[in-house]
Amino acid sequence: MKQVEEKEEASVYQRVVLKNASPYHYLKVRLVLEDESTRLSAVELKYFIITGLKSLYGEVGAAVNFDVLKYDEDTLTALLRVYSRSLVKLWSSLTLLGSYQNKACAFRVLQVSRLDPRSSLIIRIFSEVSPFLLALTGNSRDLHLD
Amino acid sequence: MVRGWFLYGAETPTVRPWRLTLSVCVCVCVCVCVCVCVCSISSVSTVQVSVLLPACSSAPSHLDSVLNNFSSFYLIRKLPVYELLDRHFLETVVYHGHLTLSLDKDSFEILGFEGKPSRFKHRAATRFGLSTLVSVDLTDSSMAPGRRSYLRLLTGLKSRLQLQTDFLLSHHPGGGASLQPLLSRCDWSQHRPEVNCSVLMDLSCPAPRSCDPHSFLEWLGAVDAGISCENSSSSFLSSFVCPEPSTIHRHALSVSVSGMLLPHDIHRLLQELRRYVEQPRLASWVSMTVRGFADSPVSWSNHEHGFLRGGENFYTLTMFHDHTYQLHLATGAHDVCPP
Repeated sequence: MKQVEEKEEASVYQRVVLKNASPYHYLKVRLVLEDESTRLSAVELKYFIITGLKSLYGEVGAAVNFDVLKYDEDTLTALLRVYSRSLVKLWSSLTLLGSYQNKACAFRVLQVSRLDPRSSLIIRIFSEVSPFLLALTGNSRDLHLD
Repeated sequence: MVRGWFLYGAETPTVRPWRLTLSVCVCVCVCVCVCVCVCSISSVSTVQVSVLLPACSSAPSHLDSVLNNFSSFYLIRKLPVYELLDRHFLETVVYHGHLTLSLDKDSFEILGFEGKPSRFKHRAATRFGLSTLVSVDLTDSSMAPGRRSYLRLLTGLKSRLQLQTDFLLSHHPGGGASLQPLLSRCDWSQHRPEVNCSVLMDLSCPAPRSCDPHSFLEWLGAVDAGISCENSSSSFLSSFVCPEPSTIHRHALSVSVSGMLLPHDIHRLLQELRRYVEQPRLASWVSMTVRGFADSPVSWSNHEHGFLRGGENFYTLTMFHDHTYQLHLATGAHDVCPP
C-alpha cells in the first residue's frame, strides 16, 4: 500500500499560470553622451536618474525605489530593477532626461547636465525592458555574427 | 511531485523522427515591420541555451562533448523570400513546414495573399492594426508547385512585394547536401554556436523548491548576467540579494551556447543533464534555460508571438536528483498561454 501511495505522489503534476505577476521589471539602459570621454560612476548614474525622476514627478518620483544591479563604466551600460508599478515613472523619466526643464533651444540641440555644467551633453538612452531578467541576459537582438 | 509553472514561454523541443526537416529563422528583423520566419511544424529553433551546475567546477567529459558539438548553421545575407518557394527546394528539402510572414498593412495589401489580422493590434480603428499574419502550409496540396495558390504567392513575392532579408538556416543531420543548390545562389557563411563557460566561486544558491518562481528566475538571470547578490540592506545602489533559504557553493559552472540551436541538440543536452543529475552529487539540482528568438512571429505551438516590450520567449527546466523537475515557461503578456 505504501509503495502505491509513493507512486501516486510521484506522478502528481501541478500547473500554475501567473499573468502579469512579476513584482519587478528590468531595464537595460545605455547612456550615450556627446562627449564620449565623460565617465560616470554607478553612484553618479543613480543620482542622475533620481534627479530626472524628481524633476518630472517631484518628491514622489524621487522616492521611486530602483536598483542598479550592474553597471559597466566603460560602455555606460546599466541593468536596472524597478517595481512594476513604478516602471512607467522610471521609463518616462529616462526618456525625458535632459530635455524636461528647458523647452527652447537647449531641448532641441543640447541638454546641459547638472553633473558637469561646463560641458554640453546630448543624452540618448537606449533600453530594453522585460519583467524577466533572464530575457535580458540572452536577447536574440544581441546575437552578432561576423 | 512535478510542478509546471507557466509564466507565459518558449517552445519545448519535441522529439520526432524527422527524416529531413528544414528549420529556418530570420536573425535580423527588417525595421519596416516585416518579419519572416519559416519554422518546422513542431520544433522551433532557439537562440541561446544556458546551463547552471551548482557545486561543479568543470563539465564532465560527456557533457562537454555535447556542448561543443551543437550543429553548425548558415547565415545567408539578403536572401529573397521567394527563393524559399523554389520548386526544387520544396521538393527535396522541406518535408514539413510553414512559411509565416508578419506584414504591416501596406505590405500585406501589396502582396495580395490571404492572411489574418494580428492579435497584436495597435490601432483599434484599423482592422489589421499594424501587422497581419500570413501563414502558409508548404506541404498542403494547394501549395504544391504549379497550383494556383502557389503561383499567386510566388508572383506576389517575386514581382509585387520583393522581400529580401538575412536568414539563419540550418538542417537536421544528413540534410546538408540538399541545401547546396540554394547556397550556391546566395552570399552565405557558416557559423558554429558560440560556447561560453565560466566558473563561479562562492555562489549563494537558493533552494528551487522553496522560493517563488519569479525570485528563482530573477536569481538565475542574475547569475547569467554576473550580478552580485552581496548587497547590504543599507546599500545605495542595489538591494538585490539571493532568495532565502540559500546555500553557498564553493564552485558553480555556468555554460551558455549561443547561435541558431536545433531542438535535437537541445534534447541531447537535456538527456545528458538528466544523466548528470541522477548521480550522487553535492548539489541536487541543475537548471537549463532555453531562449527563443525575441522577434519570431510565432512561438509556442506556432501561435503568434509579439515582441511588445521585451520579446520574452524562454523556458527554464530545473531537474532534481529524485527524478522530479520544475518547468518555468515565460512569454509575453498578450501571447497565447503555452500548452
